[in-house]
Amino acid sequence: MLPDIDHPVWMQIITGKRPFQSTKPTLNLLVQMNKMSYERDPSPANVKALIAKTHNFLGLYQALFADEIAAILK
Amino acid sequence: MSATECAAVQSIPDVQAAINSGQSLFLAGSRQALSSLPRGNWVGGTISYFMTDEGGRVSEDEIFVTPVPEFALSGKAADYGPAEIARIYEDAPEQGFTFLVAPASTPVHKNFAEQAPACDGFLLRPVVGWIAGVRVERIGHDKPAVFNGRSGAVLEDRCAALHVALPANKMADIDIVNIFESGGGPVVRFEEAGFSVGRCLIGGKAGNLAAYIGSRGISTEFPLVGDYNGTAINVSFQKVDPAGQKVEFYAPVFPGVDYRFAKPVENYERAFAQAASGDGSPDFACNCILNFLYGRLEGKKTGGITGPITFGEIAHQLLNQTLVKLYLRDVG
Repeated sequence: MLPDIDHPVWMQIITGKRPFQSTKPTLNLLVQMNKMSYERDPSPANVKALIAKTHNFLGLYQALFADEIAAILK
Repeated sequence: MSATECAAVQSIPDVQAAINSGQSLFLAGSRQALSSLPRGNWVGGTISYFMTDEGGRVSEDEIFVTPVPEFALSGKAADYGPAEIARIYEDAPEQGFTFLVAPASTPVHKNFAEQAPACDGFLLRPVVGWIAGVRVERIGHDKPAVFNGRSGAVLEDRCAALHVALPANKMADIDIVNIFESGGGPVVRFEEAGFSVGRCLIGGKAGNLAAYIGSRGISTEFPLVGDYNGTAINVSFQKVDPAGQKVEFYAPVFPGVDYRFAKPVENYERAFAQAASGDGSPDFACNCILNFLYGRLEGKKTGGITGPITFGEIAHQLLNQTLVKLYLRDVG
């Protein structure tokens, strides 16, 4: 079950405080894109947008990446 | 399973029959071979190099066929110009994926490579495919092209897409096989995105990449390896000009990514056999022409994976010297 979009885990993932590494290239690309965007623009508005994008992606693909998501969010 | 139900090299008459039967197809073949096909729901690009069950092969009169599976809800052929990269994602199905092929060394190739990661829908709407090319000995003489079988257009300045909608119980999972890994040298960082670079940071110090490569005699057979959160993404060297202090790549580098020179690979066939084992046969795959050439893969197998051998691979974004795989997974 994916945590709600307001859960602090999302902020931790976007700001790099919670490591999020997978064997799946798609997930690693997502994290890398977030990291690059956050480095360019760490504003709250951008963080909010990145959280929304990540939550939306993982929500859509949670059936495909269930194991990876569970491991990451433990 | 018939020949048109799984990805394979096929004769022109067999492909003509598959198109005429109404199948949706993603094709790779020589310009002559693709030009002999009837109109229908297919897109394709020019290439004459293939990974086959028998090994790497060069052929002008065969076509590598990747059929859209029968369980797909639809397959919609389209094409896009260099100013329309964002539209690829707008037109992509919400549940499904897009096959894409773009002609090498064209503005649409460059723009896709540089702009795709910033598009709305990037990763969310999976794009997989490759860059069309020509026979290596004809580079500079012949032009790569893509075909939109729906309209009958042969395009040298646009990319062709086949948008595939999937049912709710299927999802596209794009994977890569990269036989290269970081060689452990200094981190190289770039300030700007692009296919051509001069200045950069090498081990944290300002420098020039061409001069650095020239002064150390670094082999450019092996790529720069970008660290994307643990996934190795290659960028291959096209040309190094120490006098002009410029390096040209086959894919863009990006700021914010740590790159390192790759560890040399001695036996490509063995490396692919090891790296590509497991996980079954993909629904689509492609591999890089540089691996074919540097690894002398003609007649040699690449871990049982078949598909076109291309001038660039697309696994969401443009990659080099990489084997890309698409799996259509059951998800419930």
